Amino acid sequence: MSREWTSKLLTRFAIAGAILGSAVVAGQAQETIRVGAPLPMTGPLAPEGAKQKKGYDLWAETANAKGGIKANGKTYKVEIVYFDYASNTPRAVQGAERMITEDKVNFLFAPFGSGASKAASSVSERYGIPTIAATASSAEVYDQGYKFLFGTLTPNETVTEPIANIVTSKNKDVKKVAILARNDLFPLAVAQQMEKSLKAKGMEIVAFERYAIGTMDHSAAVTQMRAARPDWVYATGYVNDLILIRKQMNELGLRPKVITMVAGPAYREFAEATGPLGENISSVAWWHPAVRYKGKDVFGTTEAFNKAWDAKYKGEADYAEASAAAAGAILQLGIEKADSIDPKKVRDALASLDVETFYGKVKFGPSGQITSLEPPVFQLRGGKTVVVWPEAVKQGELEFFK
Amino acid sequence: MIYFQILANGLMLGALYACIAVGFSLVWGVLNVINILHGTFIVLGSYIAFFAFRFAGIHPFVSVFIAGFVLFLMGYAIQSAMINRVIAAPVLITLTLTFGIDLVLNNAMLVAFSADYRKINLPSPLPSFEVASIFLPGDRVAAMGLALLLTILLYFLLRATNVGRAIIAVRMDREAAALMGVDVKRVNAITFGIGALMAGATGALISVIYPISPLNSSAFLGKAFVVCVLGGLGSVPGALVGGLMLGVLESFGGFWFGPEHAVTLSFGLLLILLFARPGGLLGKRGYE
Repeated sequence: MSREWTSKLLTRFAIAGAILGSAVVAGQAQETIRVGAPLPMTGPLAPEGAKQKKGYDLWAETANAKGGIKANGKTYKVEIVYFDYASNTPRAVQGAERMITEDKVNFLFAPFGSGASKAASSVSERYGIPTIAATASSAEVYDQGYKFLFGTLTPNETVTEPIANIVTSKNKDVKKVAILARNDLFPLAVAQQMEKSLKAKGMEIVAFERYAIGTMDHSAAVTQMRAARPDWVYATGYVNDLILIRKQMNELGLRPKVITMVAGPAYREFAEATGPLGENISSVAWWHPAVRYKGKDVFGTTEAFNKAWDAKYKGEADYAEASAAAAGAILQLGIEKADSIDPKKVRDALASLDVETFYGKVKFGPSGQITSLEPPVFQLRGGKTVVVWPEAVKQGELEFFK
Repeated sequence: MIYFQILANGLMLGALYACIAVGFSLVWGVLNVINILHGTFIVLGSYIAFFAFRFAGIHPFVSVFIAGFVLFLMGYAIQSAMINRVIAAPVLITLTLTFGIDLVLNNAMLVAFSADYRKINLPSPLPSFEVASIFLPGDRVAAMGLALLLTILLYFLLRATNVGRAIIAVRMDREAAALMGVDVKRVNAITFGIGALMAGATGALISVIYPISPLNSSAFLGKAFVVCVLGGLGSVPGALVGGLMLGVLESFGGFWFGPEHAVTLSFGLLLILLFARPGGLLGKRGYE
């Protein structure tokens, strides 16, 4: 290759680059709000990552279809910038930082779960970027005194108290409870919270077993629990664990009056995979498609959200999917209330929100975690979920195993 | 009485572990290939059983043979087309190759089947038997029976057929076997195919027990690894003994020390055994 030819080529590249560059600048001039979303799109948490992505995508699409977000006399289009952190928390933190410094995102959605959200929130706090966590419920995430982190799931006690109330008030014969918990941040925290809620009601905890992440057999735990003859089995973990636990309970003759599992029954695949064994399993979720709110957000009423969800994805959203969509809708409310995309102003607007959305009432406590939700209790019947609490949206009564 | 239940739990789990490990052990022992693909092969077998059941109503225990056959062809093809090219290279090279193929295959499954956990729900599942207040889950007992049968079949295949004797010859001394007129490349491909066959058959077998998802493959691979080291490489009885031992140990360990320590216990034992008997319980020295 001759030198002259090379320099010609370089010139052409330079020209092409300049044209492309100006096009990019022109694109930015259209006013876009960029929201960073580090998600586990591959690896063991891929199913959870996919749920969150569906929620964010629906929000962005809906917001743009309705003309974008209006603030400061301008109209902004929403663009979500994704980053796959491959289910690896340190990479989620790096991803969050890269999105803020290089991709120049205006706002951030936290990664999946309490652990990764807590880790990533230190980065967004440092840069002063308002961050909404859609799947972090543990109070430990929000107790760092951070100003820019907001969470759309209520603390764990709001998912343990209602079911403890219902079961104890409805059936006085339920006295002994066995708890089986996955030794993992959220499942263990919620199981320990349940233990507290039950003890406060004078229930006897006859077994509290923990199993390791990746356990392939629960026969030892189930056998031990059976020996303690519990009236109520409360198991925590994820879909995979809970399907196996339910099957082994049946095989090994553990037949209590109440079976409660968190957090799996809210997902469609749990009901499909357990089939008849899923019948009468009770559970709690932060949101359920049966709730009815008249939202002031971009989705409007819960019915309207369900319809939009069904049109795009066919079927109903579960709480994780709805929470992700709500995170977007809440961010939009915050921007509109602030009438600005300045991070500090949006942060203050979010902190002072007190508004009804399709997802429920939204008001954040001083720690940034939402305090206004009433997580519904439901039971699986015929492969469908039936809400048994709160009274306002109840679809049926809690039933006990014979 | 509860100890009999724990023992029964452990034996049933152990038979499944043996079945999970036997193909992996064969490939490692004969070809000196640490086949990272093994877990993915098992999951693929489960998916074959799942779809055969959903779309054609075929019972998963019948799919054992279909999945075994499909996976044999696949294993044979992978060995002849890819692994045979680097078979003489140090073990790290073949490990890296199977690791790479595993990434491709596993992610292809994630794309094709999604990561959702699925499960086969038989319209008339086998009931649990209760013998003297010991519960024996029907499908686990049946799976255990089939697992033992498969393992015994493999044992006789290796002892009593020409192909089997060729495999053992290659295992003992590759160069000498080649000098005796054994087509080593073909034997390699058949061996890898049989390893995959066992994985596929196991996958179909356990599709009635475990939820199915591509994410499970590493858990299966991990168990196979432990069983092999416990029992000794490349020997069918070794995999059987290693599997049963691991199952019983995890069962009692989980009972005595709590389920979260079951795995700690089995890996602790693995470490001790590696010091005391590096060849495994039934392993023979000098076979490598």
